[in-house]
Amino acid sequence: MIPPPKALIAEITHRCPLHCVYCSNPLEMGRVELYTETWQRVIAEAAALGCWHLHLTGGEPLARKDTEQLVAAARDAGLYVNLITSGLGLTAERLESLVKAGLDHVQLSFQDSREESGNLFAGTRAHAIKLEVAERIRKHRLAFTVNMVVHRGNLDHLKELIALAETLGADKLEVAHVQYYGWAFENRERLLPTRAQLDESIATVAAARDRLKGTMRIDFVVPDYYAKYPKACMNGWGQGLMLIDPAGRVMPCHAAGVIPGLNFPSVEELSLKSIWESSEVFSRFRGDEWMQEPCRSCERKDIDFGGCRCQAMLLTGDAEATDPTCSKSPMRHLVDKIIGDIGQAAMPVPTTDWVYRINPTN
Amino acid sequence: MKALSAASRPALRPGCRLSPPSNPESLLLIPEGALRLHGPSRKILELCDGQRSIEEIIIELGQTFPSADSERIGAEVTGFLQRLQEKGAIELL
Repeated sequence: MIPPPKALIAEITHRCPLHCVYCSNPLEMGRVELYTETWQRVIAEAAALGCWHLHLTGGEPLARKDTEQLVAAARDAGLYVNLITSGLGLTAERLESLVKAGLDHVQLSFQDSREESGNLFAGTRAHAIKLEVAERIRKHRLAFTVNMVVHRGNLDHLKELIALAETLGADKLEVAHVQYYGWAFENRERLLPTRAQLDESIATVAAARDRLKGTMRIDFVVPDYYAKYPKACMNGWGQGLMLIDPAGRVMPCHAAGVIPGLNFPSVEELSLKSIWESSEVFSRFRGDEWMQEPCRSCERKDIDFGGCRCQAMLLTGDAEATDPTCSKSPMRHLVDKIIGDIGQAAMPVPTTDWVYRINPTN
Repeated sequence: MKALSAASRPALRPGCRLSPPSNPESLLLIPEGALRLHGPSRKILELCDGQRSIEEIIIELGQTFPSADSERIGAEVTGFLQRLQEKGAIELL
């Protein structure tokens, strides 16, 4: 008996007004999107399967006109609804109708505490709009999280970023170091922090957590390139989460498309339940049968599950390999070389030659 | 963090709510996940309306469960609400 997923991540569109240089969306995106009715059915299926939460994301989930209808479908099915947004398109009217439909939680992204560099990383003028949107969100009884992706170019503003989230009245701040997938992988050399920046960010977050106890919680994601052990990616493949892309392909995570040979089943052909319980894709890296050494005999294999399959693929070319961010990996030298190459001296952030995320083309 | 006292009036924070009664599981849904509610915990949270004080909540629970020791109810309610306050699921008015 496979325990049900706890959350469904619905990437309802890959269209986005932002072009963030670390976007986790795939490099190749399509324009095909599911119909409203199909999403409504899938959302009800997710609730029946045992999901608790629906995370509406994208791209920019507000780029679709039916976001409210999807929120309502989720509430009807008994799900908790979270909207992960850039804020662009969240007018007072739109927010009101989303709240009316039953929205529970909004996560609003910021690219920096400063307007100029925030707009540079977003590839568009978004920062000032976000400040207005945050004020608008606070007028409603919603859980409000500020999301900030941090990297070499904005880490030195971390204290300012925390102060900004406090000023905006967030219940929670999520500070996430860039994870190197999608567009972030393309811009890695420019985004990787120095060791000193990383250490300072850990200390800054610890002090802020202490100071803000009971008022604003802080979630913190550290970059695994500098870690001793890999992250327990997705808490294990096919364990607690499922993701559906705009075209209706069901995946264990947002990056799984980089692994060759996986055929992602479509919600238009199979039920979520059968995909979760018996598809080849979801069974592919469940348990430890697939593991190589040193994972197979490692005492940590039930803690981090060999790390991330997509990262193993991206860095070693073998999705079954030990995640090379692990100090026990025979390929750890690959990661050490990447860290070594960027140097450990503070470096000015380049303002040109970024690879910007582009909108779906096919 | 505001200290819990007999006079504090707890309420669920915005974005935190009980699962609908039609759900197969009784849950407290919060932004980060959900807590499974066992025994009287759902009843306690239903009384956390920002109007009743903790003292009043304990008295009401005593009426619902007359065989239970009131001191024990008091300790359990306070401990439970304190944990939820630390998780950011309730606020004290």
